[in-house]
Parts: sequence; C-alpha cells; structure tokens
Amino acid sequence: MSWFSRILVYAALTVGALITLTPFALGLLTSFTTPQQFATGSPLGIPNPPTLANYAALHGAGFGRAAVVTALMTAVIVVGQLTFSVLAAYAFARLNFAGRDVLFWIYILTMLVPPSVTVVPLYLMLAEVGLRNTFWALVLPFAFGSPYAIFLLREYFRAIPADLLKAARVDGANTADVLVHVVVPASRPILVTLFLITVVSQWNNFMWPLVITSGSKWRVLTVATAGLQSQYNAQWTLVMAATTVAIVPLIALFIVFQRRVVRSIVVSGLK
Amino acid sequence: MSTGRVRRAALGYTLLAPSLFGAAAFLLLPMLVVVWLSLQRWDLLGPIRFVGLANWRSVLTDPTFGNSLLVTAGFVGLVVPLQTILGLLAASLLARQLPGSPFFRTVYVLPWICAPLAIAVLWRWLLAPTDGAINTVLGRRVEWLTDPTLALPVVSAVTVWTNVGYVALFFLAGILAIPADIQRAAQLDGATSWQRFRRITLPMLRPTLFFVLVTGVVSAAQVFDTVFALTNGGPRNRTDLVAHRIYAEAFGAAAVGRAAVMAIVVFAILIAATVVQHLFFRRRITYELV
Repeated sequence: MSWFSRILVYAALTVGALITLTPFALGLLTSFTTPQQFATGSPLGIPNPPTLANYAALHGAGFGRAAVVTALMTAVIVVGQLTFSVLAAYAFARLNFAGRDVLFWIYILTMLVPPSVTVVPLYLMLAEVGLRNTFWALVLPFAFGSPYAIFLLREYFRAIPADLLKAARVDGANTADVLVHVVVPASRPILVTLFLITVVSQWNNFMWPLVITSGSKWRVLTVATAGLQSQYNAQWTLVMAATTVAIVPLIALFIVFQRRVVRSIVVSGLK
Repeated sequence: MSTGRVRRAALGYTLLAPSLFGAAAFLLLPMLVVVWLSLQRWDLLGPIRFVGLANWRSVLTDPTFGNSLLVTAGFVGLVVPLQTILGLLAASLLARQLPGSPFFRTVYVLPWICAPLAIAVLWRWLLAPTDGAINTVLGRRVEWLTDPTLALPVVSAVTVWTNVGYVALFFLAGILAIPADIQRAAQLDGATSWQRFRRITLPMLRPTLFFVLVTGVVSAAQVFDTVFALTNGGPRNRTDLVAHRIYAEAFGAAAVGRAAVMAIVVFAILIAATVVQHLFFRRRITYELV
C-alpha cells in the first residue's frame, strides 16, 4: 500500500474514532462538573476544579442499591443460564434418546420469539402468581437457559472427541463427572464467550425490569438512570454521572476481555 | 424398549428439564397467553373480561397503530441500510490490518456494549436544545428531538452510531475469511481495488450480508430503550416505534388486550420479514454457485 493511501485509511479510521469517542468524553467531563460550572461555562470545557458531588448525590438517590441489584440479577441469570444450557446442550449433543432431534428444532424455533411480544403476557403471568416487584420476577424469565447458548454449546460439544468421553467412562466416571471434568474444561472458550454476552445483555436489560418492578426496592441501574433523567431533566451534570455509572462497568469488562468479547460477538451474533 | 434405552431417555430428559421448563413457561406459554389476552379487556388491576374480537377491530382500524407501523418501517429503512453501508466501510478499512487496527476496532464497538438506555440518555443531553453540546458547538438552537421532521432521522442516527461497530465486526470476519490467493490472482490480472471489491469481496460476503440484514431488521424493528429515553415516541408520535406503542398501550393507557393484538401483529410481520429475506437470499446464493 502506498504511503498516500495509508494516510487516507488512518485519517478515515481516526474520524470514525473521534465520532465514537467524543460523546462519551463529553458525558464523562460533564459528570465531574458542578451545576454552577455547567451553567456558567461552556458545556465542552474541562471542569476546573473537577467535582465528585454528582456521584455523591447519586449515592443519596439510591444508585448504590441499584448497582447491587443489577449485579445480583446479572449474576443469578448468568449462573442459571450457563448451568442449565450446559446440561441441555450435553443431552442434545451426546445422548441418544427418542424425541431428541424434534425437541431440539422446536427449541431453536423459540429463538424467533421477540421480547417485545412476550413482555405483556409475561407481566400478566408473573403478576398473577404474585411475583410482581420481586427479585424472582427479574431473573426467572431468563435464568433457565437460552436457546442461543444451547445452540452454540451443542455445536461445541459435538466436536469433543468421543474417545475422550469414553476414556472417562471406562475410568468409572458418571455423567456428572464427565460434565465437570471433561466437557466443561474442554469447552472453556465457548463458555467464556457465553458468559460475556450474557453479562452484557442482562446488565443492559431495561424493558423487563421497567415494567415488572416499581419503586426503589428492586430498581436496576438502567431503570434508575431513566427515572433520574425524567425527574431532573435539566440537571445534566447529575444525569451524566448516572449514565457513567450505568456504562462504566461494562466498558471496564470490555477493555479487560477485549479480544474475547470481539470474538464472542462474531461467534454468537448476539441480539 | 430395553432398559438401557429407557435409562438413556430418562437421563436425557432429566438434563433437559430445566431448559425445557424455561422455554415452555417463559417463551411458549406467553405466546398462548398473548393470543388469549388479545380477546380480553384488562386494565392491569381490575378483573379480566372476555370481549371477543373487539380489540382486534379497534387496533386494526386505529390510525395510531398504523402510524406506528409506518414509523417503524421508516426507521428500519433508515437504520439498516445506513449501518450496513457504514459497517462495511469501516470493516474494509480495518481489514487492511495496518498497525493500530485492533485499537480502532475496539473503539468502534464501545457504543454497542453499553446499555442502549444509557446511550439514549447521553444523546438526550448532547442534543438538548439550549444547554446541549451539539447546539453549543453550532451556536444556534436546533430542536433535534422536538421538530417533527427531524426527530425520526435523529433517533435513527443515534441507533446507527450505536450499531456501526458491531456490524463492522461481522464484515471484518467475513473479509478476512476470503482466501488471499483469490485477491492476489485478481490483482495480478490487473483488477483495480474497486473491481476486486465489487467482483470478489462483495459476492463472497453474501452470507455475512444476509446475517447482518436479517438480524438488523429484526432488532431495529424492536428498538424500545432508545425512543423511550430520547423522545418518548414524540413529537406527535413521529418516533412512536411499535415496541414503544405496545409498551404505551399496555402500561401507559392500561389497554392490555389492545397491546396483545399489537404484539401478535408485530410477531407475524417479523416472521414474514425473516422468511422473505431468507427466500430472497437463498435464490441469490444458489444462483452464485451455479
């Protein structure tokens, strides 16, 4: 490639990066600005001196609790989805029994059911059994495995050499041993992939927590941020601090697991 | 049946039980409940009453729902082509694999990792009429989110901004999977880089393109968080995407039966769109192989 086209490529890449990063940078700066500085200075200026007052105010507004609820919800769903998906995928991939394949394809078809369609009936169902505004309502609809995860894991499990499984059996291992000591260790990359995409999608979930919870008890970060925004529409310094709190944990996770996440997205075609 | 087969089946179904319960209770049962609900009247609190096809009649003749479908079609029509073209462009730049490319790739995916709700709140400030960043830079007051002609394009632009890096990842994987020999042979035969892109890269990206378009349409047609925080469906319902309409109908207007009808209509449209895209691309792909 000539040096001229190199410069053009870098110029285009840099423009793209600036368009992507500038909104985040501005939001972050504003979150460290006092309302007075924000009102008098330019919204684009660097806060002098920077303040943590907005974050302190968020703490008072119950964001600490919201962060804990969000983390707990994400953790329960991730553990449930991974565990149950591994069990089901193993059955679909390595066991022979009547009805297996029909069941698998019916199961895969459920991937076509969009969340905007199920939200209304799910609300009715969980309200009827008295679970509205509980932690269980947040996690139950997602914790029993996902068709997506099962599909990906099944592909992976089918590629595990049969000799490896047979050897374990000969050594007297039962199904639980085989799963824990052979299948799971052999599938670490795909499990990490699923772990990451589940964390991302559950941490960011908004519509379901919005409808099924009310008040501050089981409020998650996305719902708390939306509530703050509509309540204090003009207090942008506070609202940007809330946005930062909702975003930063995932950006940190993303930067630590950068390569993995990128590969995960491509493997799974999440969403 | 031998006892071995029975035991294997018992083991199989035991392992499947939690997932099957989850799919039956939280995916299939809701589909039945939504059909049943579409024949009832319910205001979220009071008793549920059977009303026959009244909800269907009222929704199918309701201009608000018609408007929602049109707005969603317009939104999908703006978002999907734009994010696909820009994603392909970004991927073709990243595919040169110059030093620093992985950094740019990471940066481009950032918006997509973040909660769409938080992204929408961030943009709500950037686009705010008096103290927003964009109008401050422009030095004039533009009503980005409250001008009826601007609102939908602006909401679409925010969505495209969020998705481009994600789309680019798939195209990047697709481009890097094309054997280098083919490109080199064409180069030796004197093909220009545009010719190589048009005749080699693009045809070989067809499966990727299919995936990106199908998932793009299905997810754009269901966007909720972004309009919820940016415009709340306004101004004058110009950004009232169907997912937002379903929510507003059920949890704003407390007309749950009507929301159920809307959900069923949306589901049918999404399935039809997926099937049509599938047929279209299958024909094109077979043609390519012949």
